[in-house]
Amino acid sequence: MDDPGFESVVAAHHGEIYRYLRRVGRRASEADDLSQETFLRAYRAWRSLEPQANVRAWLFAIATNVYRNHARGEHRRRTAYDAARLRRSELDAGGPEEEAMASETRMLTEAAIGRLPLKQRLAFIMRKLHDVDYDTIGQSLECSAESARAHVFQALKKIRTNLDRHRPPTRECER
Amino acid sequence: MSRKHPVCLDLEPDLIATATGEAGAAGVERVDAHVARCAPCREDLARYRVVDRTVRALRAAAPPDAEADGARARLRARLADLRSRLVTYAVFDSPLGPILIARSEHGVSLVEYLGRGGVAGSSVARLGDPEVAEDRADLERLHAELLEYLTGRRTRLDWPLDWRLARSDFHRSVLQAAVAVPYGAVTSYAGIAGKIGTPTAVRAVAQALRHNPLPIVVPCHRIIGTSGDLTGYAGNRVELKEHLLAVEGVRTERGAHPARVARQALYHYDPNDQREYCLPTCGSIARRPIGPVTLLASRELAETLGLVPCSACRPDVHPLPR
Repeated sequence: MDDPGFESVVAAHHGEIYRYLRRVGRRASEADDLSQETFLRAYRAWRSLEPQANVRAWLFAIATNVYRNHARGEHRRRTAYDAARLRRSELDAGGPEEEAMASETRMLTEAAIGRLPLKQRLAFIMRKLHDVDYDTIGQSLECSAESARAHVFQALKKIRTNLDRHRPPTRECER
Repeated sequence: MSRKHPVCLDLEPDLIATATGEAGAAGVERVDAHVARCAPCREDLARYRVVDRTVRALRAAAPPDAEADGARARLRARLADLRSRLVTYAVFDSPLGPILIARSEHGVSLVEYLGRGGVAGSSVARLGDPEVAEDRADLERLHAELLEYLTGRRTRLDWPLDWRLARSDFHRSVLQAAVAVPYGAVTSYAGIAGKIGTPTAVRAVAQALRHNPLPIVVPCHRIIGTSGDLTGYAGNRVELKEHLLAVEGVRTERGAHPARVARQALYHYDPNDQREYCLPTCGSIARRPIGPVTLLASRELAETLGLVPCSACRPDVHPLPR
């Protein structure tokens, strides 16, 4: 009377859900706890899930809910950027100068993401870092797909504004 | 930004969508046409493209796999723990009234005739520390099999059983001995006591079966008094015991009080070297106590058990009327 089906859910989706929670949260230990909470909750509800349900969307919704509950319990919202989280990206091409610039841009972007209001941050990370569709984001955040889209756009505007504050206008004009 | 032209303001969502790869063809066309003649928006588009590129770089900079692997290993341990504690239950209608079935990872842990107290008054609460959750879908198959059984369309319930509600090793050994009593056969409390090697513990056996957490599937209804009295069942609901026996072809004496099996309508087996089973009229067999003697509803059952017709009374030649 085991559930081999759920083991395959863990195998297929744990990594992504962990990375999602790692990005919305601050510490690895937090993502560890919250991803466990997400999958334990999912396991309890697993057998009553419709067979044709989108498991990935369902897990994102649970993880989002778990994170929001967790964030509500936290007294301080994070305001400072934790430089230790910075990792260099292999995608940054170019010479040392450009690399340093790109690295700084990334740092500023991560800081801006960290300062976004919770719903915008969750919507942005789901959409832009995990390619979750707007319907699913809406369900996760208990809002419409349109509102989810608006959250993501607001987030992009804030990130861009933050970059503007720290850097001179770009020389790039290409379309 | 606040001094933006209304046309530019109106275009902004499309512009952001274009820069971040979310715009449709029409949106892209509109933005292209506009930025060709609007320098501030052209600048905006470039800035959003920088944002988009940076975000793509962030995507690639995922936390190291080892971190997620460690978290997954810890999750698996917790899931295993949860699985072993999780109990699901549901209440179903049946010909015997509402019945609650509960199961864990190990098997069925509780079958209960629900009284007026409903689930709140049931033994689900006694299942200890496990997490208990109602889940009809999970138990529907068991319910379907139980219905088949109660209506005579199935003679076996091959369910894995979870003995967590057995109160002691003795309790468990009694319940397991009861499971070994085949469909359509009847023995006594004394018979079970003898079977488990404690022939004097007849009362203790009766008590253990009174607290059977798995009625029907652990067929305590096949165990009666040595004289043939059905004695008790599910509190004072002996009629359920009669019903279950009737489904298996074990007749009871009509209108008898207290209720008792109709020995004259059942084949008898008193263990012997020849493994012969008898008619109830064979010698004094019908006066010997049930327990040592097993009652059998049919010749087919006797044959299934590897028994042969008695050469004296010839149950094969003079079968009991059905």
